[in-house]
Amino acid sequence: MAASVLLARGRFVYLVRPAPQPVLAVPIADDLTAAARRLTHGAPDELPRAIVEALRALAPPSIAVDPPQLAAATMRLGVRTVELAPADARRAREALPAVEPREERLLLLAIGHAALDEAMRSPEEMLVSLTREEERIERALRREGNAADQFVTVSDSPLAAYAEEWARFRRAFERHHAELEGRVRTLAREIAPNLSTVVGGKVASRLIAAAGGLLPLARSDSARLQLLGTRRRPSHDRGPRFGVIRLADRMSDVPDDRRGAYARSLAALAVIAARADAYTHADLTPSLLARRDRRVETLRRRRP
Amino acid sequence: MRRPSPLQPSERNPRLVEQRSPERTVWFTETVGHEPPVARERWFLRGGRTYRSWDPSRSKLAGALVHDWRGDVPEPGERWLYLGAATGTTVSHVADLLGPEGRVYSIEVSLRAFGRLLSFAERWPNVLPILADARRPEQYAAFVPLVDGIYTDIAQADQVEIALANARRYLRGSGKFLLALKTSSMGREASAVEHLRAATEVLGRSFDLDRAVHLAPQHRAHYFLGGRPRRSLFDAPKGARSPAGSPARRSR
Repeated sequence: MAASVLLARGRFVYLVRPAPQPVLAVPIADDLTAAARRLTHGAPDELPRAIVEALRALAPPSIAVDPPQLAAATMRLGVRTVELAPADARRAREALPAVEPREERLLLLAIGHAALDEAMRSPEEMLVSLTREEERIERALRREGNAADQFVTVSDSPLAAYAEEWARFRRAFERHHAELEGRVRTLAREIAPNLSTVVGGKVASRLIAAAGGLLPLARSDSARLQLLGTRRRPSHDRGPRFGVIRLADRMSDVPDDRRGAYARSLAALAVIAARADAYTHADLTPSLLARRDRRVETLRRRRP
Repeated sequence: MRRPSPLQPSERNPRLVEQRSPERTVWFTETVGHEPPVARERWFLRGGRTYRSWDPSRSKLAGALVHDWRGDVPEPGERWLYLGAATGTTVSHVADLLGPEGRVYSIEVSLRAFGRLLSFAERWPNVLPILADARRPEQYAAFVPLVDGIYTDIAQADQVEIALANARRYLRGSGKFLLALKTSSMGREASAVEHLRAATEVLGRSFDLDRAVHLAPQHRAHYFLGGRPRRSLFDAPKGARSPAGSPARRSR
């Protein structure tokens, strides 16, 4: 175990120094909300001034930190860090004074709000949220539309008046959905330009939403991408065969019995596109589109 | 009018109350929270205390009680670490069992679930929500002290390793350990019973396990395990690293 240990707990940063010197405890902020905003990643990225000075005075070749998120801050001071083994971390923490329960709760709630706020603000999370909403509304529209078609009216009656009222409501609902869909498409085109071009903005957004983000999508393989958006459990003999990729661009140009083959090829292209969007940010659209359209032509020409 | 059968505090936890009738036993917890309810449970007042019904098909701990779980349950005043808090249904009942002096540190990684967990935690004074990945127990070391119990309900292939890493780091030497094992997320090559056997073997090296219960029909292919740690849990240096990045354990 290293001679000195740097620990973060609650609002405080503790520096445990070699024996005769006392433990140094410095709050990262006096105000709970201000502290919470700096603790959204589990530890402050910047150390309080008193701690920095004490570290400079100690000038240790390396220091043990816990949690490991503190490493970034000490790195900046030019001090190497070593990670504490769980048993050592336990022992070091047991020596610290207890946290006041009221402060603990308020701090954790504030951190929770700040962390959630920060995470949900990213365009990707917004796309996921909006897409799930769009999907839900589309499902509701289809269900309610089908149900309303069963309604029988007589002309010039309260029934007809009601039907008219319902139709107005439904048009407003459809307008809302179309607007939402437009927003989702635009957002998808910004976040994943390659993927949106290959499969279409709507399917791109649904793929991202089903995977839970662009990175998880880029990490998956084409077999998994092909099944994204299915609800049934995958199985070798009787599982689902397509997910949202069934709605992709140009799927309707392919003969019915070749759509499975097209879905497989398209899933392979979509994964390449998603990886480009997530990692390299290169524009692969011309080559991906050419490959996609060539595949469509082949499938239309050749009958099995 | 039919008179309701009497409520009887359980001998394992005075805040856990059972209502016995010839057909079945229904469980309630004396709540520390405020309305509105977390799930769709029933609330009522009796003798100056507020009770909430505990649905065994919504909560695996309640399911375990229905299936005659003989192991530990949370007790008033304890501090617990809850892994996989989701939207907080079971967390709220664990918090009720712990009472106003207890505390439950609830770890959840999914953003949208955490949002709902957070709004529920505002109404439950002893619930402390933390947005973090239970696979990396060292990441929330700044907020979680040593705890009297760990409850794990994570639908992941490596849930046993995740629970072990957290227990090594945060569980008191005499602490309690409960785990709801979802075998259907552990791979389909092995059957549910084989998964259970593998998990029991791994956990059995570090814990004195109680008899596991099968939670069907409320939760299909789920088992409830639990026990007290042995010294070997904390000695083992070979498990010092967190399970992140290690391949998921599959049973043979």
